[in-house]
Amino acid sequence: MTGDTVLRIRGLRKRYRQVTAVDGVDVSIAAGERVALVGPNGAGKTTTLMSCLGAVQPDGGTVELLGQRSRRARRSALARVGFASGYLPLPPHLRVLEFLTLYARLYGSTSPREQARAGLRLFDVDGLADRWGGDLSSGQRTMIGVVKATMHAPALLVLDEPTASLDPDVALRVRSRLLDLCRRQGTALLITSHNMVEVERLAQRVIFLAAGRVLVDGPLETIAAQLGQSSLEDVYLRLREATADDEAANAGASS
Amino acid sequence: MSAARMTAAAGSAPRRIAAVVVRHWYVTRRSPYRFVDVAVWPVFDMLLYGSIAMYVRQAGGDAATRTALSVVAGIVMWHVMYQSQIAVSASFFEEIYARQLPSLLTTPLRPVEWVAGAALQGLIRVGVGIAAVTVAAAVLFSFDLTDSGGAIVPVMALLLLTGWAVALIVMGVVMFLGSGTETLAFTLLFIVLPLSGAFYPVSVLPEAIRPVSAVLPTTYTFSAARAVATGDPSPWGEIGVAALATAALMVAAFAFATFSLQVFQRRGFVSRYQ
Repeated sequence: MTGDTVLRIRGLRKRYRQVTAVDGVDVSIAAGERVALVGPNGAGKTTTLMSCLGAVQPDGGTVELLGQRSRRARRSALARVGFASGYLPLPPHLRVLEFLTLYARLYGSTSPREQARAGLRLFDVDGLADRWGGDLSSGQRTMIGVVKATMHAPALLVLDEPTASLDPDVALRVRSRLLDLCRRQGTALLITSHNMVEVERLAQRVIFLAAGRVLVDGPLETIAAQLGQSSLEDVYLRLREATADDEAANAGASS
Repeated sequence: MSAARMTAAAGSAPRRIAAVVVRHWYVTRRSPYRFVDVAVWPVFDMLLYGSIAMYVRQAGGDAATRTALSVVAGIVMWHVMYQSQIAVSASFFEEIYARQLPSLLTTPLRPVEWVAGAALQGLIRVGVGIAAVTVAAAVLFSFDLTDSGGAIVPVMALLLLTGWAVALIVMGVVMFLGSGTETLAFTLLFIVLPLSGAFYPVSVLPEAIRPVSAVLPTTYTFSAARAVATGDPSPWGEIGVAALATAALMVAAFAFATFSLQVFQRRGFVSRYQ
């Protein structure tokens, strides 16, 4: 690893046909640091995450994950990375414990069943162990997704809108456990969210993306004041307004 | 509900039905490969059964017995390939339908490991399928597979590998073209079936099609299978040729699947499964 950096992205670029999804993004995340990637729909957040994790091949730039730059080495490094998306379902023909055991094995656990059970206990959802994946509510699926992403104590946790479908009380519980887990295990967090309350509670640093570019990157405590706004939500709305023209141009190019 | 509103509601049913027709017409029109099922399938069916008929017509006496044996053995051998192919393809489609590709691609799991795992679990399906077809052949046609001798083992192994290779090609096509092409899992094998002469020597195929048959590795594998099943005392030359052809097919299938995965990742298709 380069110093304490768990993720270093330089000049990341990605186009889908005529649409520029990511346009020269630079991001670095230190070990244990909690960073939120914020921006409107189509800003390039998920493409950035997927490029970091190797699921999407970028057109340009470099990604260094846990000190590994080559594709092969980064795949091995994924054993120390967790990923969950609030929109991903569970396989309908697997029970929750079977699903988690499968992923514990993929992440290299030598005692996958125990690790899966411990993960369920950590988020107070051990009662779901024997339920079928297809029978869970969207909130329960999200919880199991978070358990899947965290049960192997990753060095970097990547969460794509993790609490989008959770009730406020459950979302609060998930955030609190995530925060506790990150602090206790020194796990770095890269999260995307449209929920500014969530960002304020989880992140130490906020990166605003729009039209595939980083607009602002700064500490949570000072970023609003730096931009002359009173809250993170105001920052979001102001940047959203300022970038609307760029997005319209991009949309025009794609049509 | 008033009578007038009920009449209006009943009258809108044809419009709703028309909307569904249009909605699915869009899907069909924008997915030309769906026409493979509709248009190509019957042509290849005709080719298959027409060729069998030609083969039988050419035979007489002992040759007729040999022909029948060839066809029954062909069905058994065909199912080795069919089941091994479908087992792997179906596992891949399960990942697609369950939208697990983003999760799997963000773990240390290498694609070749996924294929190996799917192929291994598919052996159970292959085993059950072969047992069923072998028992059926024994009970219905008194065809005992064990009479074929030890050479049947390498032939079956080659057919198993061929099935996996075809599965890799199917997965490659789905990754390259996107979802909606899954029917190729079934279509591709049924195109290979008549062209490879699973039930008859390819010499009975129409002359214009024989060059296509000659470049298919499966032609040589089924030729070896037929030689073994019909009691050829020294089928090892045929098996050797089939082994080389299968190796070439495996290399090509792996290369194509790897290329398609790269295209899949380059085009960002993974986001379609989120």
